[in-house]
Formats: sequence, structure tokens, C-alpha cells
Amino acid sequence: MIRSHALIADLLTAEQMHELADSGSVEAFTTRISETLYGTVTIDSDGDPSIAFEKEFYVKFIERMTKIVEVTPKKISTFLQAYYFLRFEVLNLKRILRGKFSGLPASQIEGYLIPMKPYQVSDYKLLVEAESFKNAVELLRGTPYESVEESLEFCERYDALWPMEQALNKFYAKAVQETIQTLPRKDRALVRNILKFEVNVENLLNAIKHRRMRAGEEAIPLEELFPVTFNVKLDQIKSLIEAEDLKEAIQELGQPYDEILSPIYQGDVALIRAQARRHIYAIVRKARSLNDFGFNVIMAYLVFSELEKDDLVGIAWGLTQGVTAEDMTKYLSAT
Amino acid sequence: MEMKRRIGFIERGTEFLKLKRDHLAKELTASIDILKGRRSKLLEELRIAYRAVTAAYISLGPTEVQSQTKSIKSRLELEILPRSVMGVRYPYIKVEKEPKVTGELDITLSEAAEKVMSVLDDILQLAENEARAERIADELGKTNRKVNALENMIIPRYRGIIKFIEDKLDEEALEELVRMKLIGGALAKRRV
Repeated sequence: MIRSHALIADLLTAEQMHELADSGSVEAFTTRISETLYGTVTIDSDGDPSIAFEKEFYVKFIERMTKIVEVTPKKISTFLQAYYFLRFEVLNLKRILRGKFSGLPASQIEGYLIPMKPYQVSDYKLLVEAESFKNAVELLRGTPYESVEESLEFCERYDALWPMEQALNKFYAKAVQETIQTLPRKDRALVRNILKFEVNVENLLNAIKHRRMRAGEEAIPLEELFPVTFNVKLDQIKSLIEAEDLKEAIQELGQPYDEILSPIYQGDVALIRAQARRHIYAIVRKARSLNDFGFNVIMAYLVFSELEKDDLVGIAWGLTQGVTAEDMTKYLSAT
Repeated sequence: MEMKRRIGFIERGTEFLKLKRDHLAKELTASIDILKGRRSKLLEELRIAYRAVTAAYISLGPTEVQSQTKSIKSRLELEILPRSVMGVRYPYIKVEKEPKVTGELDITLSEAAEKVMSVLDDILQLAENEARAERIADELGKTNRKVNALENMIIPRYRGIIKFIEDKLDEEALEELVRMKLIGGALAKRRV
């Protein structure tokens, strides 16, 4: 825990993040990042440097997490592994199944994977090289993910992948909720708050998306579109989809969602995610201030680290594309 | 006679070319009217769409964006067909299939895709009209040069040659007349 306190102090400050965004070029960014604890980041000259940076930042984050896992008590380390590795593995599975669904070559799918060892499946390569989408889903039998096979029928019915992605989301939410139970009772609230908030925001964003595309589409039962809900209930989601006045419907959701979703009025959906990340940052900071000697500090370090990783990935991409620092910093969680 | 027949043919050709020139000028004016202000408006719309794409990349990360976008099954399909105005061929872009993107993509990406799709028709029309205007202008220049060459060089030269031949023939006819008169006079004197 003392180590986590020290490690939080090692994270990049908002000023450092803005300086990195203001680097002006990938070369300058590489130099500036090498002056931080990230050290020298080696990027292959072939291919897209932003993808290489993204992989590198994922590796660094996983290294940080592994170090924490090694020094934390068993209950906490089990939870942390389940929380983060499961999240990344679910993301990898989505990318693999997406690739299989649209018939992408195996090498291309492999290139999209987060560089990590398989957590609850035996081998990503087997899934990547599966003959078909259906075959890849069938290969999940015997793993904790086997329940997602039930959504195959919906994928076929709608000729779409979203039922599978929603099944994976549901699996993840359920698994995290179960793992939370392994934590000491006093430490559960923070993770539960983060999980609920993330699921609520994703459901609301999905509802806004669904609201736009519902004209001319086959009516899909809301329970299939939103398999997991927390304190933003299905009837509130339904109201958001069906409301004539979106602003009014959003305001009815109350705090913090009305404020977080407000960029939608200007059509800036990406800013909603940035606001959501800032809100998670605030939740964790508040929890840490309430209990500065325990699990909250460890969680704060990892949450801040992950937000830092996301910001660095965004900056690296922005710099390779010549995006101005002003346009980048607008979407960073570091303010 | 051959020369006169030929200049008649050239003059008729010149008239046709003038008609073509006028028609092309009319078409060019129409194309320019369509293009007027369109590029700047389109650039502004593109800037908005690009901003949305940028935001989606920064928000989701490049790998997730590529993974999602590469998985779109229904892609944009275009067919480029030739069209012609007064014999000037220009490309006509036909949208065979529009991509269906909203369902599978994350909302930030579907928002960006919608913005790009909303300017796609304008981009295609602008590209078509610019290519059309460029080719018509090129052909107009060529036709104008041909008309000028015919009016100022070929036809005057032909007219000059015809005039020279006519003058020559008139001169010869006059000489012949004088000669005939002299011979007639001489023959009359001899009879007396």
C-alpha cells in the first residue's frame, strides 16, 4: 500500500500530459516520454507508429499491474487479475470474433490483439485461426466464456455481431460482480461504483445510438440490446430511446449523467467518453481521500495508470496524424 | 472549282465548331455555377467530419477503431461510367452500394461515419463536376484554337489562293480578249 502511494506520485501529471500533447512530432514525443518513468519506447520503423505505441503502453500498464498483483494480499490480487485481465481478454475476444465475423485474415486479427498472455482461454491463436466465426465461438466451449454461444442464434437472426458483444459484456459484468465478493466488504463499494457507472454510461450511449438507427430497423427487444443494467433501469433507457425531446430525457436522468451526456447537444459524442473517464477519475480520487490506507490506494493507482495509458495512446495517435494539441487535450482525462 | 468546294466545306466545318464552342462555353458556365462556393462549403463539412473521426480515434484508440471499421461487411461500392457532352467524355460516379455502419460500430465511430457519409455524395458530385469542368474547359480551348486557326489562317489563306487563281484567270481571259481583238483587227485590215 505504501508502495502504491509512492507509485501514484510517479504517474504523469496533467502538466506533463499537456506537454506531451504539445510535442509537435512523434520524434519529440518519443524523446519526452523517454525522460519519464516510461523510459525508452522502441518503435519499429515499419507500420503505423501509433499502433506500436498503443501496444507498448498496454505492455507498460500490464507490467505495472503485475507488479502490484505480486505484492498485494491474495484476495486483492485475485480480484485485480480478474478485473483487468478479464477486461482485456474480453476485448481481445471481441476483436477476434469481429475479425472472424467479417472474414479478416488471421494475421490482421492478430495485429489487433492486446499483447497479453491468454487469461481464461488456452490460446488466442487457435481462435484466430478458426475456420469460421461459428467455429471460433464453439472453441470457447469448456472455458468460462462458453455461455456466449447462446447468442450465436441472435447473431445469425440479425446478421450482426452486437448480440455476441453484448453477451461478452454481460459475462464480464457478471464475472466482476462475482469477483467483487472475494474482496473484503469495506473495499467493494469503489469497484462496484466504477462498474455501475461504466455500464450505465455504455447503456446510455447505446440507447442514443439505437434512437438514431431505430427508424426502418426491425424492432429488437430491449432486454437483448441491454442485457446488463444497474441503477439506470431499462424503463429509463426506453424513455431515452423513445423521447421526442432528447435534452429533456437526458435531464430527467439527473446527476451525473445529464452533465456527462451534455456534449451530445453539440454532437460531440467522443467528449462524453472523456467526461465519463474524468468522472471515474473523480470517483476514485474521492474514494481514496476517504480511505487513504487500503485497497482504495491500490485501485486508485491502477485506475489512474489505465487512464494515463488511454491518454498516451490518444496523444501518440494524434501526433502521428498532425492533430493539434488543443484538439487532443479536449478528449484527455487528464485536465 | 476544287478549291471553292473545299473552302465551302471548311466554312461549314468552322460553323459547326463555333456551335460546339458556344455549347461547350454554356456547359462550362453551368458547371462553374454548380462548383461556385461548393468546394469551400464541402471543405468545412469535411473538417467537421475529420474532427469527429479524430475524436473517435483519440477516444477509442487506433487498434479498436481499425478492428471495428475493418469488420464492416457492407462496404462502399462505386462504379465509374463514361458520359459525354459534345463528344467530351467525363467520368460519372454511380454509387452501387452504400455501407451500413451504424449497427456494429461504437457510437463515437458511427457518429463519425455518419458525418463522413453525409458529405460523401457532395464529394462525389464535386469530383464529377470538377472533372467535367476541367475536360470541357480543355476541349473548349482546343475548339477555340481550331476556330481561330480556321478563321484567321486557313480560310484567309484559301481565299487568298482562290483570289490569286481568279485574278490569274481574269488576267489570262483579258489577255486572250486583247489578243483576239488584235487578231480580229489584223484580219479585218488584211481583208480591206
